[in-house]
Amino acid sequence: MSFAMAFSKKEDESGLSSYYNNKTTIIQEARVFNESPISARKCRALLTRIVYLLYVGETFSAQEATTLFFGTTKLFQHKDSALRQAVYLAIKELATTAEDVIMVTASIMKDMQPNSEVIYRPNAIRALCRIIDPSMAQGVERFFKAAIVDRNPSIASAALVSAYHLYPHAKDVVKRWVNEAQEAVNAKSGSYFGATVTGGSFFGGGSQSAAQTVPSSSNITQYHALGLLYLIRQQDRMAVTKMIQQLGGGKSGAGTTLKNAMALCMLIRYAAKVMEEDPNVQRQMIDLLEGWLRHKSDMVNFEAARVICEMKNVTAAQLTKSIAVMQLFLSSPKPVLKFAATRTLAALALSHPTSVAVCNVDLESLITDTNRSVATYAITTLLKTGNEASVDRLIKQITGFMSEISDEFKVIIVEAIRSLCLKFPAKHAAMLTFLSGVLRDEGGYDFKRAVVEAIFDMIKFIGESKEQALSHLCEFIEDCEFTKLSVRILHLLGIEGPKSSQPQKYIRFIYNRVVLENAAVRSAAVASMAKFGVNSTDEKLNKSIVVLLNRCLDDIDDEVRDRAAMYLKVLKSQTLVDSYIKEDSVLSLAALESKLVSYVKDPSSSTQAFDVSTIPKISRAQAALESARPSTLDTIGVPAARQAAAAPPPPSAAETQSAYAEQLAAVPSFASYGVILNSSAKPVPLTESETEYQVTCVKHIFKEHVVFQFNVSNTLPDTVLEQVTMAMQTEDTGLTQEFVLPIASLSAATSPGIAYVSFTRDAPDDYATATFQCTLQFVSKELDPSTGEPEAEGYEDEYQTEEVELSAGGDYIVPSYVQFGAEWDRLKGGPSATETFGLGTAVESLKAACDSIIEVLNMEPLGGTEVPTSTSVHTLQLSGLVTGGGGKVLVRCRMTFSQGVGVTLELGVRAEKQDVCQLVVNAVGG
Amino acid sequence: MATFFSALFQWLSGLFLSKTAEIAIVGLQASGKTSFVNVIGSGQWSEDVVPTVGFIFRKVRKGNVTLKIWDVAGQPKFRSMWERYCHGVDAIVFIIDSADPEKFNTARFELHQLLGQPALNGVPLLVLGNKNDLEGHVPVKDLIRDLQLDKITDRPVSCYSCSVKNQHNLDICLQWLAGRSH
Repeated sequence: MSFAMAFSKKEDESGLSSYYNNKTTIIQEARVFNESPISARKCRALLTRIVYLLYVGETFSAQEATTLFFGTTKLFQHKDSALRQAVYLAIKELATTAEDVIMVTASIMKDMQPNSEVIYRPNAIRALCRIIDPSMAQGVERFFKAAIVDRNPSIASAALVSAYHLYPHAKDVVKRWVNEAQEAVNAKSGSYFGATVTGGSFFGGGSQSAAQTVPSSSNITQYHALGLLYLIRQQDRMAVTKMIQQLGGGKSGAGTTLKNAMALCMLIRYAAKVMEEDPNVQRQMIDLLEGWLRHKSDMVNFEAARVICEMKNVTAAQLTKSIAVMQLFLSSPKPVLKFAATRTLAALALSHPTSVAVCNVDLESLITDTNRSVATYAITTLLKTGNEASVDRLIKQITGFMSEISDEFKVIIVEAIRSLCLKFPAKHAAMLTFLSGVLRDEGGYDFKRAVVEAIFDMIKFIGESKEQALSHLCEFIEDCEFTKLSVRILHLLGIEGPKSSQPQKYIRFIYNRVVLENAAVRSAAVASMAKFGVNSTDEKLNKSIVVLLNRCLDDIDDEVRDRAAMYLKVLKSQTLVDSYIKEDSVLSLAALESKLVSYVKDPSSSTQAFDVSTIPKISRAQAALESARPSTLDTIGVPAARQAAAAPPPPSAAETQSAYAEQLAAVPSFASYGVILNSSAKPVPLTESETEYQVTCVKHIFKEHVVFQFNVSNTLPDTVLEQVTMAMQTEDTGLTQEFVLPIASLSAATSPGIAYVSFTRDAPDDYATATFQCTLQFVSKELDPSTGEPEAEGYEDEYQTEEVELSAGGDYIVPSYVQFGAEWDRLKGGPSATETFGLGTAVESLKAACDSIIEVLNMEPLGGTEVPTSTSVHTLQLSGLVTGGGGKVLVRCRMTFSQGVGVTLELGVRAEKQDVCQLVVNAVGG
Repeated sequence: MATFFSALFQWLSGLFLSKTAEIAIVGLQASGKTSFVNVIGSGQWSEDVVPTVGFIFRKVRKGNVTLKIWDVAGQPKFRSMWERYCHGVDAIVFIIDSADPEKFNTARFELHQLLGQPALNGVPLLVLGNKNDLEGHVPVKDLIRDLQLDKITDRPVSCYSCSVKNQHNLDICLQWLAGRSH
């Protein structure tokens, strides 16, 4: 609604101007550019309107822009300086869309010459960098070098900023201007002003008067020069460090040549970056930063304090000084300073609440600040630093102004309350009341979601609050406009409701949704009700659920009807209930995705249905971990920009698997092998990480073949390896080497390269295991340092790597989640094996035994049995899937431990094939 | 007495009745366009002139005539833009290197291409065969034939041989240009 209002308001205001500032009108009026003589006033007005249109987002087509652009170039014949400046502004804006903009290069360069009027020169320089193409950068080098060190700060700044923009396109040329930039940083300030005045009178003026170009005394040139210097040097950490030390001006910071506060702030940010990358310089950088804490400019003080506060692993002692600076800001009359300080303290309070606590008194006084943003941050900081006693009072304060702040700040407060709940569980009643109160307020989705998630967390972690919280949520969905939230709440009710003392009372709320809501919510409600039917022991309740579900059979939506029908059917049989509603495992989505991808890509497999049973399963708890949202405590109050800059997440298992599949598909020799049954979860290093040649191995199991993929890196910059192969020798039988695919040439630049060795499985149904001696063989050639070409003659060389093992765990068996008890009973009649082992005294405890068995078999420990509860007797339950259609395999390890004898293990295996049982027994025994 | 009055009249008209002419100078690269402007503008001739990128605008005052000169670049990528700068001028000057007959074909093509633009109908044309100080330069008569200037009928056309370097014949050119002023 507010948008519509804003729109109509704009309409009202525009009226005449919508005609006046209209693209078509302007293009027609562009005739004035071609008139003779030129009317400077008219042209200036028209240029202003063009720039205005571009500024408000109007777009010109390439042809329109070109016409206007060439029109403006005609104005170069006029001497009016204001017109010329307007022309430059328009050229800069049009340059991106118009064609052939290069036409004005010569005209602009004429205006850049030292003998042209000073007022044109900065504008000309700024326009030039927009129209020039990178190949011409060299041609303008001389002008730029002179302009950067020009005594007029406007010219120097314009040249520096333009160089900054040119840098990405013409790195090599701009790099050569580093000395000039350095000179500009060090330029003495204030000298220019006096010089012009005397200069102006000395030369007697002409049209170039000192009054026309009032020089700025802000030394902003230093800021621009510093930016350029850093851009040129940013790859070289040593140079940046040196630059910071030079410009920092010694320990007290008094010797700095930087007079511009923004330049100093920039320098502080660079210092922070260097410190983060190289902990060795931290000591000296902190000294510099502490010097800047006493600088005369607030901006610099704040920047230094903020950097110290955001430093990784900062100690409480290091924080003292910067917090003292922040504390001063808190009582400053300037809202900007107050806001900056509270915001930084709010973020710092997450990691160092005790250090921030010294500011509590000042923060308290800010709670009632008229600036609500300051007040919000002050309160969230206090919530984090405060003690249990002050919570009630703070919550009361917040409730007072909750309606006056924007959604964004509401979310911050709700997040703070959420972490507070977990910190002080005893206060949950007050906080829950607060949360349910704000849930009734007006607010957008993000805000409501934050509140609902906070309540979810309370249900999860604070048992006593559960019933109360659930009833608040029930009330909320009665009047909730967000489908997503309703669905989540209904799901939670389905899980938590049946466990409560009075499940009946939730049914009414849920069924109301079936009557009143949209299809998505209705089907969620049906699923939720069914869970009550299954989990409740109350016969009467179960009957009513069946009645309600029957009513849903008449729903107009397919999904709702289908769900109702399914649940009605399921409720009649206990076995179906176990597998469909109480089921605690889900398919591993990463594995499912990669299998589906390979299924779709392989045309020959389309004759068969996709086999879901080969997908490993994981428990819900694991699935929740995988997709876990970032912990509350990590995210609160950290400025949004920081999160955006975070590194992309590491590739998921599915991504690496499908990357392998793509690599293998690119090799024609493997085309006939069919679908990959299993690839190693991650590459196994065969060398130390610091050696000159680094090798990792990935194993791919096919139906009838095994392919070893060796990722080889050559770290020597001056040699190239040719014909790189891996020689693999084994004494075990069952595998026959088929062929090797060498890497033709491998240099440090092309590393890592991939060499393959392929084996045939003699009997594809057997699970052949083997240990291979691996030797890297290659021809080593030196690179000629002058040409970079490898020399003709090389010598053969070998490099011994560690052994590669093809074993049961990891290569044939992948972890999968099941309900152990039920599945163990089901496989009772199938193939099985039992064996007893003495693990000897080398294994020191039951925990160590569990860990090594899990590692050897690469199977999923179930029900927390990987952690022994007793020191003498333990049963470890494991489950896995055998690749290539081997089916499920379950292992029960009964262990006893006694001092002196060590661990005795009775290994029970049940599987769907006898081979598999033997494989497991051999893996543990071997 | 009459001569005195006419001289006085000329002097006065030079003071008060100043005239202007807007001219566009085009031609293939390295034919001497920028040098021509430099010489008539400031009398300075230089051996090395940087190739023009785009165009240069100059104002030159000769007697009571102000010439506004668009000196447009001649490299192939700029030739399509000649037309834009010939719009609304009082005369087009086409300069050609008369000592380089191999380029005459290209020059003829570009010239006729330009004159074929409907918007430039009737604009007077001055063709200058530059560099006549060099050995083996082509005389005016052959130039007229090679450039097919006789086929241009819709506008006044003049063709002179000149040397910017030695300032030979430049006075006639200026006279001609001054004749286009208004």
